[in-house]
Amino acid sequence: MIRMSSWVSAAGLAVLGVVALGCQGEKKPEGAAPTGSAAPGASAAAAKPENPAEKFKGQTLNLLTWEGYADPKFTKGFEEKYGVTVKYTYFGSSDELVAKLKSSPGVYDVVSPSSDVAYTLMQGGLVEPIDTTKISSWGELADALKNLDDVKKDGKLYGVPFTWGPDYLIYDANVVKEEPKSWKVFYDAQYKGKVSLWDDISNIYLVGQIMGLDKSNPAALYNMTDEQLAEAKKKLVELKPQVRKYWATAGELNDLFKNKEIVLAVGWPLTVGTLNKEGSNLKGVIPEEGATGWIDRLMITSSSKNKDLALAYLDYVTTPKAQALVFEATGGYCVANAKAKEHMSEDLKKSPCVTEGETYFKRLNFWQYVKERKKYNELWNEVKSEKTTEAPNEAKSAK
Amino acid sequence: MDTAPAAKATVHAQNPPKRRALLFLVLPPALWLLCFLVLPYLGLFIQSFLGSDDLGNVVLEPTLDPWKAFFTKTLYRSTLLYTFKIALTVTSLSVLFSVPLAYFIAFKVRRWKELLYSLIIVPLWVSYIVRAYAWKIILGREGILNSFLQWAKITDAPVEAFLYSEWAIVIGLVHIYTPFVLMPVYTAFEQIPRSLVEASKDLGAGRLTTFFRVVFPLSLPGVIAGGTFAFVLTLGDFLAPVLLGGTDNLMISNVVQNLFGTSNDRPLGSVVGIVLLVVVVALLETTSRAEKSFASLESGRGRLGGAR
Repeated sequence: MIRMSSWVSAAGLAVLGVVALGCQGEKKPEGAAPTGSAAPGASAAAAKPENPAEKFKGQTLNLLTWEGYADPKFTKGFEEKYGVTVKYTYFGSSDELVAKLKSSPGVYDVVSPSSDVAYTLMQGGLVEPIDTTKISSWGELADALKNLDDVKKDGKLYGVPFTWGPDYLIYDANVVKEEPKSWKVFYDAQYKGKVSLWDDISNIYLVGQIMGLDKSNPAALYNMTDEQLAEAKKKLVELKPQVRKYWATAGELNDLFKNKEIVLAVGWPLTVGTLNKEGSNLKGVIPEEGATGWIDRLMITSSSKNKDLALAYLDYVTTPKAQALVFEATGGYCVANAKAKEHMSEDLKKSPCVTEGETYFKRLNFWQYVKERKKYNELWNEVKSEKTTEAPNEAKSAK
Repeated sequence: MDTAPAAKATVHAQNPPKRRALLFLVLPPALWLLCFLVLPYLGLFIQSFLGSDDLGNVVLEPTLDPWKAFFTKTLYRSTLLYTFKIALTVTSLSVLFSVPLAYFIAFKVRRWKELLYSLIIVPLWVSYIVRAYAWKIILGREGILNSFLQWAKITDAPVEAFLYSEWAIVIGLVHIYTPFVLMPVYTAFEQIPRSLVEASKDLGAGRLTTFFRVVFPLSLPGVIAGGTFAFVLTLGDFLAPVLLGGTDNLMISNVVQNLFGTSNDRPLGSVVGIVLLVVVVALLETTSRAEKSFASLESGRGRLGGAR
């Protein structure tokens, strides 16, 4: 009986194998057919280059971006202009971006790295130099962003400025009546279990700021010594009883606020914008210690099969109109193109990006390349694996 | 003496075509296993002895550092131990729930047997993530459970420990893995000849004695098989801590996920993966032996002083 059944299953597997092989055999010519027929189409397009909109028709552009950076509000205009489809994948942390990009070459065309890993991507040869003459709005993009050296190599530029913004303190103004002045509010006993931090190494920067490490040198946060890291770890572990949950995606942070699990968090303007539209009363503030921030640039991957289309997207999405839509869709991420404000509603113009652009920019300590990233990551894991112990003295230090 | 070689010869004569057929049948699955199981593990093993550069690319420099890191740093050891603790808790609770339930369905229910059994299996058709989210809705600060408790005046403030805690993980996983335990236990109960139970009662054993000395020992292979399911699946789980866990419920698979998906430290990730693999294989081997030794009525008799 046993022998019988093993024979049957072996036979079944064999049949499966044959079927699989057969499928492959059959698929090949089929798969070849479209590329074959596409070739004449492509040459036809080449024959009349005067119509660029036709050139990309039917193609698909794949974005690998932060949440909110593929909102149909602005991608739709691009899709309609060129008759293409924009698909997207979100990543939840800079490290995830690098890992995803490395493990699936050829899948993504455009990525939106922040200032901490943009340099890494360039040095690793994962992204292509960009021909800025093809970016029609290049002259309008903020000089402060264009002048940054981290995405320049051998006179070539690898990233087009897109947006920038803070990792600021978000609070539920219905519960927290007074605007928090300091990040130390996270340690306040009355908000025990009502705080959320991002599940990311940026918490180490944050604690570094609370420790005052970046007062004289902003780069200190990204190059902490072993002693400073040990101190930061201690501070993060101390904070654990206060923390309800480390959020992994902006969507999760939204849920935490919506379900009233938390009242304080580190987050992006995206969260405030999204939830206030749904009736929440969230506010974001840069505390006295300052806040870290990010400068996000768009890059074209070196493994992309649609580099021209990717460049066309970069050209489109940096135009004033598209940038104004980006600003709106992200709930107020500052955009690279200053002319975007001409297309903004009066309400949106009140954003600090518009009213106090330059001073706002200077108040943020923008993420930088972290040489010891592995160490930072390991430290963050250690913090997460540490078991919470009650720290009764914390209330005092908060005051 | 004379017939034996002749018989052998005929066997030989018959063998080649049969063998070829066998080879043809076995080859595809064998290739499959080689390509998608053996080779990847081999790759993982080799990778665990290599270094990696800043970008996370694995470089061809043999080193023992990843292994050293695993065995010297408390992060990995303590997380592994913690994961075992969770897995043990989940397994015990799942078994504790499954055995009475399976016993009830197998022995006490007549008419609705099939229906009851399928009711327990049905949750398996619902996606893991949906079930985890359901628990979020139930256990949250303003969730169903807390609202009910406050409405019933049992508590006057929401209990925070329900969600984003170790208990949330355990509850979620027990819910998800109990059917896996229940199925083999139920099957084991079903296979017990009813005459044995009757004999036990005829000989004057009470219900409890019959259960603990006859029925339960005979169901042990099922309990072990189910327990192994729950244990191994929990050991490899990384979603429950992410969705239901709090700030200090990191499990070993989260570390693996982090090492591959975030920190880009493939060699160290491979080390953790291999350690986990060795643990699981050793566990499966032990439990399959245990299962066999309890498998038949004959062998079951001697052990545990059971059905004597």
